[in-house]
Amino acid sequence: MHKAVIIGGSAGSFQVITRILSAMPANFPLPVLLCLHRLKHVRSGFVEALSIKSSIPVIEPMDKEQIKPGRAYLAPANYHMYIELGNKIALSTEEPVNHSRPSIDLSFITAAQVYREKLIGIILSGANRDGAYGLKRVKDHGGMAIVQDPEECQVKTMTDTSLKMTKVDHIFNTNEIIRFLQKIKHP
Amino acid sequence: MTITDLDLQYFVSSLKTLSRYDLSNYSDKSLKRRLQKVLEDYNTTIIGLINRMMNDQLFVEKVVRDITVNTTELFRDPPVWHLLRSRVLPRFKDNSTINIWHAGCSTGQEVYSMMILLHEMGMFDRAKIFASDINTDVLDTAKHGVYKYRFNLNYLDNFDKVIKQNPLNFDEYKDVPYEKYFDIDKQKDIMQMKPFLVSKPIFRKHDLVTEGNIFYNKFDLIMCRNVIIYFNYALQNKVFELFHSNLYPKGGLVLGLHESILGPWASKFERLGQSYVKK
Repeated sequence: MHKAVIIGGSAGSFQVITRILSAMPANFPLPVLLCLHRLKHVRSGFVEALSIKSSIPVIEPMDKEQIKPGRAYLAPANYHMYIELGNKIALSTEEPVNHSRPSIDLSFITAAQVYREKLIGIILSGANRDGAYGLKRVKDHGGMAIVQDPEECQVKTMTDTSLKMTKVDHIFNTNEIIRFLQKIKHP
Repeated sequence: MTITDLDLQYFVSSLKTLSRYDLSNYSDKSLKRRLQKVLEDYNTTIIGLINRMMNDQLFVEKVVRDITVNTTELFRDPPVWHLLRSRVLPRFKDNSTINIWHAGCSTGQEVYSMMILLHEMGMFDRAKIFASDINTDVLDTAKHGVYKYRFNLNYLDNFDKVIKQNPLNFDEYKDVPYEKYFDIDKQKDIMQMKPFLVSKPIFRKHDLVTEGNIFYNKFDLIMCRNVIIYFNYALQNKVFELFHSNLYPKGGLVLGLHESILGPWASKFERLGQSYVKK
């Protein structure tokens, strides 16, 4: 059914994403694309911090790296991460978008073009509008749009903007996101 | 408006006819996005853009400049500079000359970073610095060595990490003043590289895709960071071939932090940390 999960988050999303990754089944059948803003001075150590608890490998991909199921691909610091036809990652150092590099919008827009109705997009807590338009594009292409319950978010700007822009499929708290992902079976 | 594959093809083939620029092997995704931005900036359509390009050669040059990506910073990715300092550059310590080519140097911050590091290592006078880019606007900036100060505040942080601190020994701290290499004018919001740095490099306009080595020199080290991510596999291989044939034996190649050599040229280089050494 689905071919990929893409998750965007910013301020207040680190613990959520850690919980999600630690609850993933080790044989999760889809690739997980992660586009998370980070503080400018925290450029290294992020992937290691996520890896510690994750039950699937977390990778900062190289340019043109082939995307494989059961792995999480974290947009590297200071690069935009695009998804290209042929199931490949493409990195770019173009100007920041929404003051962000990586930009969640760019990752979501390009993933939506590639996976279309077979994409699950999830927007988590964040203090920036980045990601809201990207989630709309996921929905426009027939994909599934999920937003973390703003009640649970440390910062609601990202989820509120997303909910304003898109009629989403689900508003889930962290536990519900986890249960939803755990139910995804091999196609 | 979204750019279709057909639009992109039309643009690329028109450009090829109207100029000597061949973007047909550029990575589609970034090219589409850049082209879209150009159309928005000029408030025109693909047809409108190409019509204007047919009648105005200067406009063609301008569009090419707008479409290529030009971001760079002083000492981007400090770990790469640590590697250059501790393992790559020391290999050339006893050379009477050290030839370095910055391919796709953009506005030149990396060229200045290299010269500063070489100076700190006592290798500056023996180094010959060559730098090239397809875009003459960014080359002009590089030649002047004047940058916005506030916009680039994190440069200073990178400078401290690479030049002042020793990653192998955190107790060691060399208090190198910024004024040794550049002057900061906060009022005017600029940082100006010192004349002895500005006058050193040879900057030339160069298209990595269509031109060979224009410097009539072989190189000990080639820096080409975050350039090949915009090229497809075939074009990347062509560029690696150009680099390989113009490096001295055991010469070094440094790519961007998330770039690597895939395909046939990989076996002609050895890895040295993040960098490559010609076999």
